[in-house]
Amino acid sequence: MSAQAPRRNFLADGLAQIGDAGLFLPALLAALPRSFRYFRETVRQLWFVGAMSLTIIMTCGLFVGMVLALQLYHVLSIFGGTSSTGTVVALAVFRELGPVVTALLFAGRAGTSITAEIGLMRATDQLSAMEMMAVDPMAYVATPRFLAGIIAMPLLCSVFSLLAILGGHLVGVTWLGIDNGTFWSNMTANVDVWKDVIDGMLWKGLAFGGVVSLIAVHQGYTTPPTSEGVAYATTRTVVASSIAILAIDFVLTAFLM
Amino acid sequence: MTQRRSYAVGTGLFIVLGFLALAYLATQTTSLANFDEGSTYDLKARFTNIGQLKDRAPVKMAGVRIGSVKSIQFENDKLDALVTISVDKRFDQIPDDSSAAVLTSGLLGDQYIGIQPGGSPQNLKNGDTFILTQSAMQLEDLIGKFLVNGNGDKKSGDADSASKPAPDAGQ
Amino acid sequence: MTDHSDLRQAADEAAAAVQIRGLTTVLNGKTIFDALDLDIPRGKVTAIMGPSGTGKTTLLKHITGQMRGDAGQVLVDGQNVPKLSREKLFRLREGIGFLFQNSALLTDFDVFENVAFPLRQHTRLPEVLIRDIVLTKLQAVGLRGAAKLMPSELSGGMARRVALARAIVFDPKLILYDEPFVGLDPIALNQVLKLIRTLNETLGITSVLVAHELSAVQQVADHIYLIANGKVVADGKPADIAQDGSPWTGQFFGGQADGPVPFHYPAGDYATELGLAGDAS
Ligand SMILES: Nc1ncnc2c1ncn2[C@@H]1O[C@H](COP(=O)(O)OP(=O)(O)OP(=O)(O)O)[C@@H](O)[C@H]1O
Ligand SMILES: [Mg+2]
Repeated sequence: MSAQAPRRNFLADGLAQIGDAGLFLPALLAALPRSFRYFRETVRQLWFVGAMSLTIIMTCGLFVGMVLALQLYHVLSIFGGTSSTGTVVALAVFRELGPVVTALLFAGRAGTSITAEIGLMRATDQLSAMEMMAVDPMAYVATPRFLAGIIAMPLLCSVFSLLAILGGHLVGVTWLGIDNGTFWSNMTANVDVWKDVIDGMLWKGLAFGGVVSLIAVHQGYTTPPTSEGVAYATTRTVVASSIAILAIDFVLTAFLM
Repeated sequence: MTQRRSYAVGTGLFIVLGFLALAYLATQTTSLANFDEGSTYDLKARFTNIGQLKDRAPVKMAGVRIGSVKSIQFENDKLDALVTISVDKRFDQIPDDSSAAVLTSGLLGDQYIGIQPGGSPQNLKNGDTFILTQSAMQLEDLIGKFLVNGNGDKKSGDADSASKPAPDAGQ
Repeated sequence: MTDHSDLRQAADEAAAAVQIRGLTTVLNGKTIFDALDLDIPRGKVTAIMGPSGTGKTTLLKHITGQMRGDAGQVLVDGQNVPKLSREKLFRLREGIGFLFQNSALLTDFDVFENVAFPLRQHTRLPEVLIRDIVLTKLQAVGLRGAAKLMPSELSGGMARRVALARAIVFDPKLILYDEPFVGLDPIALNQVLKLIRTLNETLGITSVLVAHELSAVQQVADHIYLIANGKVVADGKPADIAQDGSPWTGQFFGGQADGPVPFHYPAGDYATELGLAGDAS
C-alpha cells in the first residue's frame, strides 16, 4: 500500500486543510452553548493552556526585550539617539514581537499538547466513550480548549510584553546607563494606548489565540487514530499555526494601521 | 475535589496576572501615564506654523514639563493654528506677558511647546491666550537662509536644488 | 436456521429490547452486514460470537447509533436508532451501558472520577451519594482500593473492570459488553461472570455480550448468536449450539482454519501474490 501511495500534492493538501478547519469552526461555535455546562472544564483548560505556558512566555519575553535593547542601543548610539531605546523597544514589542512571538511559542507549547491530547483521546476511543455516555465530546473536549486558547492569548501577550519591556529596561538603564526618566518619558510620549497596546495585545492576541487553538483542536479531533497519525497531526499544528500567525499578522497590521 | 479547586485558584491567579500586566502596559508605558493631571487649566496660543507639533505633546517651562497640548485647530478666519494646552493647576504663576514657542528637542527630535516667562505681575488664568508666540523653526528654511546668506555665487545655485527636496521630505 | 425463525415468531414483539431488521452495512467496499436480522430479548443475556473482524463491535456500534448502516432498521425500545435526532439519541444512550473493547478510560481522571463521570454529567446528586454509588460499583469489580489510581497505573485487566464499573454505574436498562473477559485472570473472570448474572437477575437488565470464550459464555448467556459473513449463521441455547451439527458451529467451536467461516481476510490467490503461480515470467 505505502509503496503505491500517491505523491502528496502539498498545495491541494493545504487548501483542503484550510477548508476543513473552516468547516470545523461552525461546528465548534455550534457547540458553544452546550459547552457552558462544562464551564469547569474551560477553567481547567485555561490552567493547562494559559497558566502552564507562563514560564516559557515570561523567560522568552525577558530575553527578547534584553536583546532588543542591546541591539538598538548600539544602532541608536550612532545617531546619538540612545534615549529612544525604550520607545523603540516598546513599539516593536507591542506592535509585532509581543503578539507574534507569544503566538509562536503558544503554538509550540499549548497547541501541540492540545492536538496530541485530543488525538490520543480519539485513538484510545475516549471520545467515543464520551459519546456513549451521552456527553458531546465537541462541547466537552473541543470547545473548552478552543475558548481557553482565545482567552489565554491576550493575557500571555501582555505578560510577554511586560517582561520584554522590563528586560529592555534592565539592559538599557541598569547596564548601559540610559537615564531612567528619559527611558520612560520617551516611551510614554510615543506609545499610544489604542493604536499600540490594545491593537497589539488585545486584537492581535485574540486573533492569534483563535487561529492557533482552532488549528490545534481541529488537527487533534480529525487525526487518524494511530500513533503515527497523532505525531503527524502534532507536527502539522506547529507548521500550520506558524504560517497562519505570520500571514494573519501581515493582514491585521495592514488593516489596523 | 481539592484537585479541581486548585485548578480554579491557579487559573484565577493567571487571569488576574494577565490583566494586571495589560493594565500596567496600558497605563504606565503609554501616553496615559502623562494623564496624572488631577486638575488642569486651559490656555490658548496662536501660531502661524506649528511644524510637527501633535496632540499630547509636552508643554515645558524652564525645561520642566508642566502640561500637554490638548487640541490643535485650524482657524478659518485668522488662517492660523489655535493650540489649546492644559497646564497643571499647581503651576498657576505664569505671567500674562509670557511667550509660547514651538520648539524642537534636539536637532531632529519631537516638537513641544516651551513657555518663556515674562515679567508681568498678573498671571494667566483659565481660558487666557498667549499674546506673544513664536512659530516652529523650519529646518529647511534655516538651511535655505544659511545657504543664501552664505558667501559664493556658485553656492546660491546649489541652494535651490538643496532646499527644494527638503520641504517634501519634511512634510 | 429454522430454529431462528421459530424463535422470532415465538418471541413477543414487545419482549425484544433490540430488533435488527435487514441491516446492511458496507465499509470501504467490504460488506460487513448483509441484510442482518437479529433480536435481543428483554431481560436476558444474549451472547454474540463470531470470528475476528466479522463485525461484532460494529454491530454494537449500530445499536448505540455510533455508526449507521446503509439500509435496514435498528430498533431499540421501539425507536429506530439511525433516524434519531442527536438529542433523542443522547437520551437513549443515557439508558445504555457500553463496555468498550479497549476500556477507553478517560486518562485525565483517576479511577474514582472515571466511574463517577456519567453521574456527574447527568445528575445533580450530592457528593456523598455519588461517593457511595461509585464505591459500591468499584467494590463489585473488586477495585475499591484502586479508586485513587490513574488509568495509566492500571493493568489491562484492572482497566477492563473499571470500565465495567463505569458501564453499570447508571444501572442502565441495557448493557453492551464488548469482550469483557479479555485479560482477566480466572478469579476476576468468575467475579465478572457472577456480576453479569447478578445484574441480569436482580435488576432485570438486558445484556448483550460479545465474547470469544465459549465456556464462559455458556455459563452466563441465555442465548447465543453466531455471526459470520454478515449474517446470523447459527443461534440457540448455549448447551445446544455447539452440538447442532451445522458446519459453521462445528468449525467455529472446533477451531479449525478450514470450513465455511473464513479465517483469512479476503485476499487474492496466495501463490499468485508470492509470484509462484503459473508461468514464472
Ligand atoms: N471505521 C471503519 N472503517 C472501515 N472499516 C472498518 C471500520 N471499523 C471496522 N471496520 C472493518 O469492519 C470489520 C469488522 O470490525 P469489528 O471491529 O466490528 O470486528 P469484530 O467482530 O469486533 O472483531 P474482533 O473480534 O477482532 O473484535 C473489520 O473487517 C474491519 O476491517
Ligand atoms: Mg471487536
